[in-house]
Amino acid sequence: MKNIVPPNERYEIRCPKLGHQISFSYCRVENQGLPCPKTIDCWHIHFRVRAYLKEELTLEEFNKAFVFRPKPKMMTLIDLIEQAKTEKEDNST
Amino acid sequence: MQVKKIFLPESELPRQWYNIAADMPTPLEPPLHPGTGEPIGPDALAPIFPMPLIEQEVSQERFIDIPEPVLEKYLIWRPTPMYRAFNLEKHLDTPAKIYFKNEGVSPPGSHKPNTALAQAYYNKISGTKRITTETGAGQWGSALSMCCSLFGLECKVYMVKISYQQKPYRRLMMETWGATCIPSPSSETNAGRKILEKNPDSPGSLGIAISEAVEAAVTDENTKYSLGSVLNHVMLHQTIVGQEAQKQMALFGDYPDVVIGCAGGGSNFAGMTFPFIRDKINGKQVEILAVEPASCPTMTRGPFAYDFGDTVQMTPLLPMYTLGHSFVPEPIHAGGLRYHGMAPLVSQLILDGLITPLAVHQLETFEAGITFARTEGFISAPETDHAVAALIREAKKAKEEGKEKVILLNWSGHGLVDMAAYEAYLSGKLKNHELPQEEIDRALSDIAPLPKPKQYKK
Repeated sequence: MKNIVPPNERYEIRCPKLGHQISFSYCRVENQGLPCPKTIDCWHIHFRVRAYLKEELTLEEFNKAFVFRPKPKMMTLIDLIEQAKTEKEDNST
Repeated sequence: MQVKKIFLPESELPRQWYNIAADMPTPLEPPLHPGTGEPIGPDALAPIFPMPLIEQEVSQERFIDIPEPVLEKYLIWRPTPMYRAFNLEKHLDTPAKIYFKNEGVSPPGSHKPNTALAQAYYNKISGTKRITTETGAGQWGSALSMCCSLFGLECKVYMVKISYQQKPYRRLMMETWGATCIPSPSSETNAGRKILEKNPDSPGSLGIAISEAVEAAVTDENTKYSLGSVLNHVMLHQTIVGQEAQKQMALFGDYPDVVIGCAGGGSNFAGMTFPFIRDKINGKQVEILAVEPASCPTMTRGPFAYDFGDTVQMTPLLPMYTLGHSFVPEPIHAGGLRYHGMAPLVSQLILDGLITPLAVHQLETFEAGITFARTEGFISAPETDHAVAALIREAKKAKEEGKEKVILLNWSGHGLVDMAAYEAYLSGKLKNHELPQEEIDRALSDIAPLPKPKQYKK
């Protein structure tokens, strides 16, 4: 049975998004305080991360972190353009 | 002594990029706006990309001339060498003839500057003064930084703060090439300030860095944004790889039975294979293998459908191979290959039967990378190892079948700044995972009610 407690800060694995080694504490808060959507993917071989996060998070937080999928890049870009244009217009009025 | 590698003379550098959109058996279906259901036009991208790149994004011209200034600067590292992998063949005791194209010889160490250079040039002639982008460890950021410096453009890279603090070497590469690296979140943008107000010690994320880079482009008329994967014009620029490879194969006196590339955002894969897919469309017998991790089978096991990018169904619809927007992939450890959906161009070619997707387990990829390093010497990037693993599978299959198959691999980059990933493998930390069919079935039920492309295939 694997440990439910996260490894310490010195224990680092490669982050597939960033492309370098990181500790669990970063993944835990990467998504504006919520876990990165890839946290369970990346960490479950190292400790019982799903069980740990189910204890740590409310059901709503868990679903927000892991049920919502990252958008494809092109969709992200179009969203961000619209968002920045709106803010630019708001600032100029 | 047998010929080990072929360097094309500079005079043989291809003068045009190949645009596969002109030869697609099924034209690519455009992205749809979720509100209107209408196609999203090029104007949607105008705030962040210069017009020549937007024109290339939607172009149907088969060949597009490479501008002379781009050709001149490609010569810094192009044409890249093609090798015959005699040592690997001997190690595997295979009758197969194995060739690999080395894209790791570019100054930043991968195929990425093939498009960074073109994008920098088109921005330069369009009057752009500064290009922004985002980066994590810095592979794309370093490629763009070098290419901006070659065309006298400013380059501003929003680098995720934790990467900025922990990965000084690629940051120093970027700064050496004259780029400004900003730790993200920063106080320079609304997006960054909002994050810092809530948490001044935020370590940042790639999502925040993208928001900052795009905002910086949208809010300054002299600034544009650059992306190193997924989009059509990125794939187009990469086709110089496959066109060189065709000439080199001819000089070796061979033509591949199988062409292999790893497929993440799709650019290195498209670069090598699209010219060969053109041959295939015109009747050549060649198998094209796109390799992805076994645990994230977007290509191999998902149907082709329009999919929303989020569960609230607000973002545009893109036709792609998908497992549905609530699909949570199983664990895998493999750099740039983690994508929810494959690039639309590649997805369409799979659907048309021109590309065969192949999934490889992570342990197999690192085993393959070690074998490749110990026979041919080069240490591959972790993503490239996926293609190397498929190559070894094919070579073993050729032995079983007793066939002298010709196999060509796109060796897309070296792994010399990724040694920690090898350390994880060598110390036994990595494990394999298989995605259960019932989990896929559950995810697929989510997309059942969504609109399907005309050629929807179950």
